[in-house]
Amino acid sequence: MLSKRSVAYVTAAVFALTALLGGCGGQSTPSEGGSGQGEEVSIVFWSAPNPTQEKLWTTMAEKYMAEHPEVKIEVAPIPESPSSEAGILTALTSGTKLTASENVFVGFGAQLVDSDQVVPLDTMPGYDELVKSRKMEELVEGWKFGDGHQYIFPLYVNAMLFSWRMDLLKELGYNEPPRTYSEMIEAGEKLQAKYPDKYLWARRELIDPSKWWERWFDFFALYYAASDGAPFLTNKEVTADRDSAVGVAAFIKEMNDKGLLLTAEATDPFETGLTLWGVQGPWVLPTWAERFPELKVGDQIVLTPPPVPDNFPAGKTPKTFADAKGVVIYKNASPEEQQAAWEFIKWVFSNPENDATWMEMTGLPPARGDLTSNAAFTSYFEANPALKAFADAVPTAVPPVMSEKFTDLQTQMTEEMMIPLINGTKTPEQAFEAVKAGWEAMLK
Amino acid sequence: MRKYYEIRGWLLTAPYLIFTLIFFLIPLVWAIWLSTMDWNLISPRRMFVGFGNFVTAVQSSKVMASFINSFKFMLIFVPLSIIVAVAIALLINSLTVGANLYTVAFFLPYLASGVVTSLVTKGLIAINSPVNRLVVRILHFQPPWLSDPGWATFVIVALIAWKFSGYYALIFLAGLRGIPKEMYEAAALDGAGPWTQFRRITVPMLYPAFFTVVVLAVGLMFGIFTEPYMLTGGGPNLATHTWQLEIYYQAFSSFKAGYASAISILNAVATFAGVAVVRWIMRYWGRAYGYEQ
Repeated sequence: MLSKRSVAYVTAAVFALTALLGGCGGQSTPSEGGSGQGEEVSIVFWSAPNPTQEKLWTTMAEKYMAEHPEVKIEVAPIPESPSSEAGILTALTSGTKLTASENVFVGFGAQLVDSDQVVPLDTMPGYDELVKSRKMEELVEGWKFGDGHQYIFPLYVNAMLFSWRMDLLKELGYNEPPRTYSEMIEAGEKLQAKYPDKYLWARRELIDPSKWWERWFDFFALYYAASDGAPFLTNKEVTADRDSAVGVAAFIKEMNDKGLLLTAEATDPFETGLTLWGVQGPWVLPTWAERFPELKVGDQIVLTPPPVPDNFPAGKTPKTFADAKGVVIYKNASPEEQQAAWEFIKWVFSNPENDATWMEMTGLPPARGDLTSNAAFTSYFEANPALKAFADAVPTAVPPVMSEKFTDLQTQMTEEMMIPLINGTKTPEQAFEAVKAGWEAMLK
Repeated sequence: MRKYYEIRGWLLTAPYLIFTLIFFLIPLVWAIWLSTMDWNLISPRRMFVGFGNFVTAVQSSKVMASFINSFKFMLIFVPLSIIVAVAIALLINSLTVGANLYTVAFFLPYLASGVVTSLVTKGLIAINSPVNRLVVRILHFQPPWLSDPGWATFVIVALIAWKFSGYYALIFLAGLRGIPKEMYEAAALDGAGPWTQFRRITVPMLYPAFFTVVVLAVGLMFGIFTEPYMLTGGGPNLATHTWQLEIYYQAFSSFKAGYASAISILNAVATFAGVAVVRWIMRYWGRAYGYEQ
């Protein structure tokens, strides 16, 4: 038997080692970085988990610290463990010091708001002036939460556009891309009459239940165009324009039924000419430039807004979906840290040159209402005309559905609408009703 | 002196005990506690739901699909990987030159990243890939690789079998090298042919290796994640949905930490039960060869 003394030795050794291991942790409590008036304030800013945005925010922080020596900003990428949202949640759970971060979209923002984790930015000094100086008054309306506050400062807006293989269209006798659903189906049928192995659209994501975010780029882009931006969800109630939603579902089903939609795995189907049409965000431009330099926007490729129902007024610009993300400040930071973080954010966004730097480094259009009219960006758009098409669409781009249950809702849409439409087990009307009923049950 | 040895023993095992405490026991207790909560880890609203998460889980079609799919994968994976692994082991064992080189070559897939192998597979079966075109030319039809439940299951199981067969072959190879050659020589003198020798000597003598491999393979089937995550997302129609996928989606997409913990605990119970049943079957089989355990 082990004596009491032996047990005491072992216990002491275990505690000593545990303490040693515990001491290796580098975490600090939220209050550690705080300070009184005039003292140094230390804040931690998490950038999107990619080297470009980390470098950009590091550069901004260095410039800011040079002008404001009383503020110390530590920039680090959001740990993707396994997603950036999960990384932020883990940090908030474990008490890891985190003052502000970018890369937050309204769906995740809604969850943070619901959990009382983020600061309402419209209560911060100078918020209205900042919004006004960036001509974002209209844009921020779409980012307003149910309680009327603004918790996310929009950073960039990726309006989704649709790409057409103009070289193929010309072979089919078109000089302009089709605009309406019927024109598209007709173009697809002409394509398959000439090239039986080609398709109008390749979209395997329609049947992958794990890729909930893909509904932003197919269903919602088409829905916002058809409905002129009618909200799909308002304060936990499905307020979708039924005709538009059913019309989109019917359009997807018709493409599938006529064999124009490819849901099998395909590598770069649009770029290799396997398909006529594709959905794109501005992030595709560097990829095209690097991997498909022979494809030029405006020549072989044309970018257009989403297609619309046949009765959509000609000459009216259709709306589209905006993959948009912004910056938040966390409540677990001390008031001094929150204030310091806001001053830093305000400093970054007050200068159009910083937006120009952002655009040059990331290739993403910053969230500004004057993007295509401000002289600070003229030279950039002249050098990058393809990005101008995306920037032009920013004012008509609608941000994602605002709900803390965003993943469950959009997964349900895949399972109850997209997969049954493709499998032929539901009509468009039944699919829409299933989504409506499912969403309302989940949000009850 | 005895006390000295006791203290030394405890001190030497202390690092492992601390490791177990920090990385297994504390998380286990935390997971059990969490499984009784409706909570996303950050919200100030935390609700005790008792066994509510478990009741929801057992009624969930996705959890049920994960449970059934574990056994479906097992039925294909265990025989497939064992047949391939035994064949590789026999092949390498028969080599007089370059055996080590081939052993390493067959073991390499085990070391390859599941993400990379899944991406390569995705490229190979893409409709516009040269490999797929060749297959279509041979078969005269386009296999619905990932869009048909049966085909998708086969693709995922085949990929995992390819990855693990080389590893299992190492275990069988070690077993083969432990069989005395004299047994085969004596059997040959008695007129036993190669097939009889394989059935009556090799298989019984490899029983410990079979036992290890079957238990490992069965346990693996309850923990599949990367391949279905990368290739199918659990579809089509939940045909490739797994426990780990469901835990991941609930914990890291829906942020339902309590519910995900409940599924994790059910997964652990199913794994232990599955492995226990297989161990019992294997021991029953072993007794036929005179292995008493």
